[in-house]
Amino acid sequence: MTPADHAVFIYALSTCPWCHKAKRYFEDNGIPFEAVDIDLLPDDEGDRLADEALFASGSRAYPVVRIGEQVIVGYAPEKYAELLGIGD
Amino acid sequence: MAHEARAAALREFFTPLVTAMGFKFTPDRELADFLLEQEAALEETKGAPYCPCQGRTRERAHDMRIVCPCIPYHRRHFDAMRRCWCGLFVHEDVTDPDALPQIPASELGIEE
Repeated sequence: MTPADHAVFIYALSTCPWCHKAKRYFEDNGIPFEAVDIDLLPDDEGDRLADEALFASGSRAYPVVRIGEQVIVGYAPEKYAELLGIGD
Repeated sequence: MAHEARAAALREFFTPLVTAMGFKFTPDRELADFLLEQEAALEETKGAPYCPCQGRTRERAHDMRIVCPCIPYHRRHFDAMRRCWCGLFVHEDVTDPDALPQIPASELGIEE
Protein backbone atom coordinates (compact mmCIF):
# COMPACT_ATOMS: atom_id res chain seq x y z
CA MET A 1 0.00 0.00 0.00
CA THR A 2 1.41 3.41 -0.91
CA PRO A 3 0.66 6.76 0.72
CA ALA A 4 -1.57 7.66 -2.22
CA ASP A 5 -3.81 4.72 -1.32
CA HIS A 6 -4.81 6.41 1.92
CA ALA A 7 -7.68 8.86 1.84
CA VAL A 8 -6.64 11.86 3.91
CA PHE A 9 -9.11 14.38 5.24
CA ILE A 10 -8.28 17.25 7.58
CA TYR A 11 -10.86 18.97 9.76
CA ALA A 12 -9.31 22.35 10.50
CA LEU A 13 -9.86 25.85 11.80
CA SER A 14 -8.57 28.79 9.78
CA THR A 15 -7.31 30.38 13.01
CA CYS A 16 -5.20 27.37 14.05
CA PRO A 17 -1.50 27.35 13.14
CA TRP A 18 -1.25 23.60 13.83
CA CYS A 19 -3.96 23.03 11.25
CA HIS A 20 -1.87 25.03 8.78
CA LYS A 21 1.15 22.89 9.65
CA ALA A 22 -0.82 19.68 9.15
CA LYS A 23 -1.91 20.77 5.68
CA ARG A 24 1.65 21.77 4.85
CA TYR A 25 2.92 18.35 5.97
CA PHE A 26 0.78 16.58 3.38
CA GLU A 27 1.59 19.18 0.72
CA ASP A 28 5.33 18.88 1.36
CA ASN A 29 5.15 15.10 1.17
CA GLY A 30 3.13 15.12 -2.02
CA ILE A 31 0.20 13.34 -0.45
CA PRO A 32 -3.22 14.26 -1.79
CA PHE A 33 -5.64 15.39 0.85
CA GLU A 34 -8.89 17.20 1.35
CA ALA A 35 -9.30 19.79 4.07
CA VAL A 36 -12.02 22.03 5.35
CA ASP A 37 -11.80 25.07 7.59
CA ILE A 38 -14.91 24.51 9.67
CA ASP A 39 -15.04 28.05 11.03
CA LEU A 40 -15.32 29.51 7.54
CA LEU A 41 -18.44 27.54 6.69
CA PRO A 42 -22.03 28.71 7.23
CA ASP A 43 -23.17 27.74 10.74
CA ASP A 44 -25.29 24.74 9.76
CA GLU A 45 -22.64 23.21 7.52
CA GLY A 46 -19.89 24.00 10.01
CA ASP A 47 -21.90 22.41 12.82
CA ARG A 48 -22.42 19.27 10.76
CA LEU A 49 -18.72 18.87 10.05
CA ALA A 50 -17.74 19.78 13.62
CA ASP A 51 -20.09 17.06 14.87
CA GLU A 52 -18.56 14.67 12.35
CA ALA A 53 -15.08 15.50 13.65
CA LEU A 54 -16.27 15.14 17.23
CA PHE A 55 -17.81 11.75 16.49
CA ALA A 56 -14.59 10.58 14.83
CA SER A 57 -12.16 11.98 17.38
CA GLY A 58 -14.05 12.45 20.64
CA SER A 59 -12.66 15.96 20.77
CA ARG A 60 -13.34 19.53 19.71
CA ALA A 61 -9.61 20.18 19.50
CA TYR A 62 -8.14 20.72 16.04
CA PRO A 63 -6.65 19.64 13.71
CA VAL A 64 -8.42 16.32 13.32
CA VAL A 65 -6.73 14.25 10.62
CA ARG A 66 -8.36 11.18 9.18
CA ILE A 67 -6.00 8.83 7.33
CA GLY A 68 -7.96 5.92 5.97
CA GLU A 69 -9.91 4.58 8.93
CA GLN A 70 -7.57 6.08 11.52
CA VAL A 71 -8.11 9.44 13.22
CA ILE A 72 -5.37 11.56 14.76
CA VAL A 73 -6.07 14.62 16.88
CA GLY A 74 -3.40 17.30 16.77
CA TYR A 75 -0.37 18.06 14.67
CA ALA A 76 1.60 14.82 14.85
CA PRO A 77 3.86 14.31 11.82
CA GLU A 78 5.42 11.14 13.22
CA LYS A 79 1.99 9.55 13.56
CA TYR A 80 0.99 10.68 10.07
CA ALA A 81 4.17 9.14 8.64
CA GLU A 82 3.62 5.89 10.50
CA LEU A 83 0.08 5.52 9.21
CA LEU A 84 1.15 6.44 5.70
CA GLY A 85 4.08 4.06 5.82
CA ILE A 86 6.58 6.69 4.81
CA GLY A 87 10.08 7.10 6.19
CA ASP A 88 11.45 10.00 8.20
CA MET B 1 -1.51 43.21 11.50
CA ALA B 2 -5.12 44.26 11.79
CA HIS B 3 -5.40 43.55 15.51
CA GLU B 4 -1.90 44.38 16.63
CA ALA B 5 -2.89 46.77 19.41
CA ARG B 6 -5.48 44.44 20.91
CA ALA B 7 -3.09 41.49 20.63
CA ALA B 8 -0.51 43.47 22.60
CA ALA B 9 -3.14 44.33 25.20
CA LEU B 10 -4.11 40.67 25.52
CA ARG B 11 -0.46 39.76 26.05
CA GLU B 12 -0.23 42.27 28.86
CA PHE B 13 -3.54 41.13 30.37
CA PHE B 14 -2.72 37.41 30.20
CA THR B 15 0.82 37.60 31.60
CA PRO B 16 0.01 37.85 35.32
CA LEU B 17 -2.84 35.35 34.99
CA VAL B 18 -0.75 32.58 33.47
CA THR B 19 2.27 33.38 35.64
CA ALA B 20 0.14 32.65 38.69
CA MET B 21 -0.71 29.27 37.14
CA GLY B 22 2.93 28.31 36.51
CA PHE B 23 2.82 29.01 32.78
CA LYS B 24 4.43 31.60 30.53
CA PHE B 25 4.11 32.70 26.91
CA THR B 26 5.79 30.37 24.47
CA PRO B 27 9.30 31.59 23.63
CA ASP B 28 8.30 31.13 19.96
CA ARG B 29 7.45 34.78 19.45
CA GLU B 30 6.14 34.32 15.91
CA LEU B 31 3.70 31.64 17.06
CA ALA B 32 2.59 33.71 20.04
CA ASP B 33 2.01 36.80 17.92
CA PHE B 34 -0.02 34.82 15.39
CA LEU B 35 -2.18 33.22 18.08
CA LEU B 36 -2.78 36.51 19.86
CA GLU B 37 -3.76 38.10 16.57
CA GLN B 38 -6.27 35.31 15.97
CA GLU B 39 -7.66 35.70 19.48
CA ALA B 40 -8.06 39.44 19.02
CA ALA B 41 -9.95 38.78 15.77
CA LEU B 42 -12.15 36.18 17.46
CA GLU B 43 -12.87 38.59 20.27
CA GLU B 44 -13.97 41.18 17.74
CA THR B 45 -16.14 38.83 15.67
CA LYS B 46 -17.30 36.23 18.21
CA GLY B 47 -17.26 38.19 21.46
CA ALA B 48 -14.36 36.61 23.35
CA PRO B 49 -10.72 35.66 22.75
CA TYR B 50 -11.45 31.99 22.16
CA CYS B 51 -8.71 29.44 21.69
CA PRO B 52 -7.87 29.51 17.96
CA CYS B 53 -7.39 25.72 17.93
CA GLN B 54 -10.55 24.56 19.67
CA GLY B 55 -14.01 24.56 18.16
CA ARG B 56 -16.83 26.66 19.51
CA THR B 57 -20.31 25.21 19.83
CA ARG B 58 -22.22 28.43 20.63
CA GLU B 59 -23.29 26.72 23.87
CA ARG B 60 -22.15 29.08 26.60
CA ALA B 61 -21.14 26.37 29.10
CA HIS B 62 -18.83 24.78 26.55
CA ASP B 63 -17.51 27.90 24.93
CA MET B 64 -16.57 29.58 28.22
CA ARG B 65 -14.16 26.69 28.76
CA ILE B 66 -12.12 27.68 25.72
CA VAL B 67 -11.77 31.40 26.40
CA CYS B 68 -8.07 32.19 26.69
CA PRO B 69 -6.35 31.55 29.00
CA CYS B 70 -8.32 28.31 29.30
CA ILE B 71 -5.70 26.57 31.47
CA PRO B 72 -7.93 26.19 34.58
CA TYR B 73 -10.49 24.18 32.60
CA HIS B 74 -7.90 21.78 31.16
CA ARG B 75 -5.37 21.79 33.97
CA ARG B 76 -4.52 18.07 34.08
CA HIS B 77 -4.29 17.84 30.30
CA PHE B 78 -2.12 20.92 29.88
CA ASP B 79 0.11 20.04 32.83
CA ALA B 80 0.69 16.63 31.25
CA MET B 81 1.65 18.21 27.90
CA ARG B 82 3.49 21.08 29.62
CA ARG B 83 1.75 23.40 27.18
CA CYS B 84 -1.76 24.49 26.33
CA TRP B 85 -3.45 23.01 23.28
CA CYS B 86 -2.70 25.89 20.90
CA GLY B 87 0.80 26.35 22.31
CA LEU B 88 0.41 29.98 23.35
CA PHE B 89 1.48 29.04 26.86
CA VAL B 90 4.04 26.56 28.13
CA HIS B 91 5.17 25.56 31.59
CA GLU B 92 7.47 28.20 33.04
CA ASP B 93 10.56 25.96 32.81
CA VAL B 94 10.13 25.12 29.10
CA THR B 95 12.84 26.44 26.79
CA ASP B 96 12.16 24.33 23.67
CA PRO B 97 8.45 24.46 22.84
CA ASP B 98 9.02 22.50 19.61
CA ALA B 99 9.79 19.47 21.77
CA LEU B 100 6.27 19.49 23.21
CA PRO B 101 3.77 17.75 20.93
CA GLN B 102 0.02 18.10 20.99
CA ILE B 103 -1.36 15.01 22.75
CA PRO B 104 -5.11 14.53 22.95
CA ALA B 105 -6.48 14.22 26.47
CA SER B 106 -7.87 10.80 25.66
CA GLU B 107 -4.35 9.47 24.95
CA LEU B 108 -3.26 10.65 28.37
CA GLY B 109 -6.19 8.97 30.05
CA ILE B 110 -7.65 12.33 31.00
CA GLU B 111 -11.36 12.93 30.76
CA GLU B 112 -12.33 16.49 29.91
